[in-house]
Amino acid sequence: MPVADRVNPPPEIDTTMPGLDGPPPEIDVLIGRLTAADAATRADAAERLCRAGREAVAAAVPLVKACGDADEQVREWTVAALEDLGAPPPNTVADLVPLVSSDHALVAYWATTLLGRSGRDAAAATAALAGCLDAAPDRAVAERAAWALGRIGPAAGSARAALERAAAASDPRLARLAQEALTAIGG
Amino acid sequence: MACCASAARAQYAAPTIPVQKPAGAILVASFNIQVFGESKMAKRQVVEVLARVVRQFDIVAIQEVRAKSDDVVPSFVRIVNADGSRYHYVIGPREGRTVSKEQYAFIYDTTRIEVDPASVGVVPNPQNSLHRPPLHARFRTRITPAEMAFTFWLVDIHTDPDEVPQELEALVGVFQAMQAARPDEDDVILLGDLNAGPPEFKAFQRIPGVTWAVSGVTTNTRRTKTYDNLVFTRPATSEYLGGWGVLDLQATFGLPLEHALEVSDHNPVWGAFYPAEVRGQGLPPMAGTVPVRR
Repeated sequence: MPVADRVNPPPEIDTTMPGLDGPPPEIDVLIGRLTAADAATRADAAERLCRAGREAVAAAVPLVKACGDADEQVREWTVAALEDLGAPPPNTVADLVPLVSSDHALVAYWATTLLGRSGRDAAAATAALAGCLDAAPDRAVAERAAWALGRIGPAAGSARAALERAAAASDPRLARLAQEALTAIGG
Repeated sequence: MACCASAARAQYAAPTIPVQKPAGAILVASFNIQVFGESKMAKRQVVEVLARVVRQFDIVAIQEVRAKSDDVVPSFVRIVNADGSRYHYVIGPREGRTVSKEQYAFIYDTTRIEVDPASVGVVPNPQNSLHRPPLHARFRTRITPAEMAFTFWLVDIHTDPDEVPQELEALVGVFQAMQAARPDEDDVILLGDLNAGPPEFKAFQRIPGVTWAVSGVTTNTRRTKTYDNLVFTRPATSEYLGGWGVLDLQATFGLPLEHALEVSDHNPVWGAFYPAEVRGQGLPPMAGTVPVRR
């Protein structure tokens, strides 16, 4: 028996009433709206991209950039969208690499996270991520960089020295993630 | 007591939850209300659906309160209570490693449940192994005499989707720490958005007697993943009646997917528990069917 028959009878919700949005616009239209002048438009675009789930993967880089938006609602929906986006397209690695050193910690964190999700496809990001281990002003970014290097695996071998320094860090989480990355890189 | 509990368990083996809350069970739910903040609260119909969801249950563990304002949950509870209900809430601090933080909350029906205010707190996270360390609180049912009432810890968790295996590993320690937190409390229910389903629960197997309510069904709104659950142990929590379910937002409220996703990307999940403490080895195995979503 469907779950609907096991709970209270379905309430009558008029889906034509205000409060529920219409059909979602195309992803590329929403990407354009992420940089609209009006914060409400940007927030609405971020929310709709979030609701699109992994279908919004083409918006990966614009969503990372939108993490630096001045508006809190834009940032919250953008982060929620990125959490569920999965790995970005491999051809976005080059656009994500410069964002790992963004002055905006949330932009750097999510660029680093998406590179980690890319696994060995993000091998070209190794130097940038290793640089985060030593220089990222935000601890969460440095930790996520260690995690990302571990996800890249053996192709991130050139980061070994930076990871060894991080593995000796007093921050237990950074040290653990760096050690796990060294194990994943092997050699 | 075992006799009464058996009857209640048999009732909850039936695939129906009555409209009126039952005398023989409490319904404990978990609901990730994706980005529960000002923009969601501004959508009247979305809030109405959320309120109707909460009113079905005795306690709802909420994940993903994301707001700078402290008024989101209080305002929501006022709307829940607009029909005469008497819900109240406890809410945790903002948690997360970045500037984007989340809060956990428990919303509970004060006519049937009470909380020990001194028990509300955040699980210690000295190794920083959890992105959002869980909120815990100890509850007691009010629909049985106090000396018999079912008391239990709820531990509310939303794991980091990028570090699920590591966080599940850490949650084993959290669960065992909560089991040892009070010598007079053996019931621990870890519930929330685990970003993982039973096939990934290998770490939990280190907890003697561990079991979980939701299995073999999807819990996200798109009906593609099993992410949400209630985890506890037996025989300790023999009060579990075997009744559980996923409240499918699309089917329950007649919403098309795109509108259900405005409510949340997760469906609520729930389990039914006997409202009095069950001692010893617990109840005989439940006869009949366990309701599942098909």
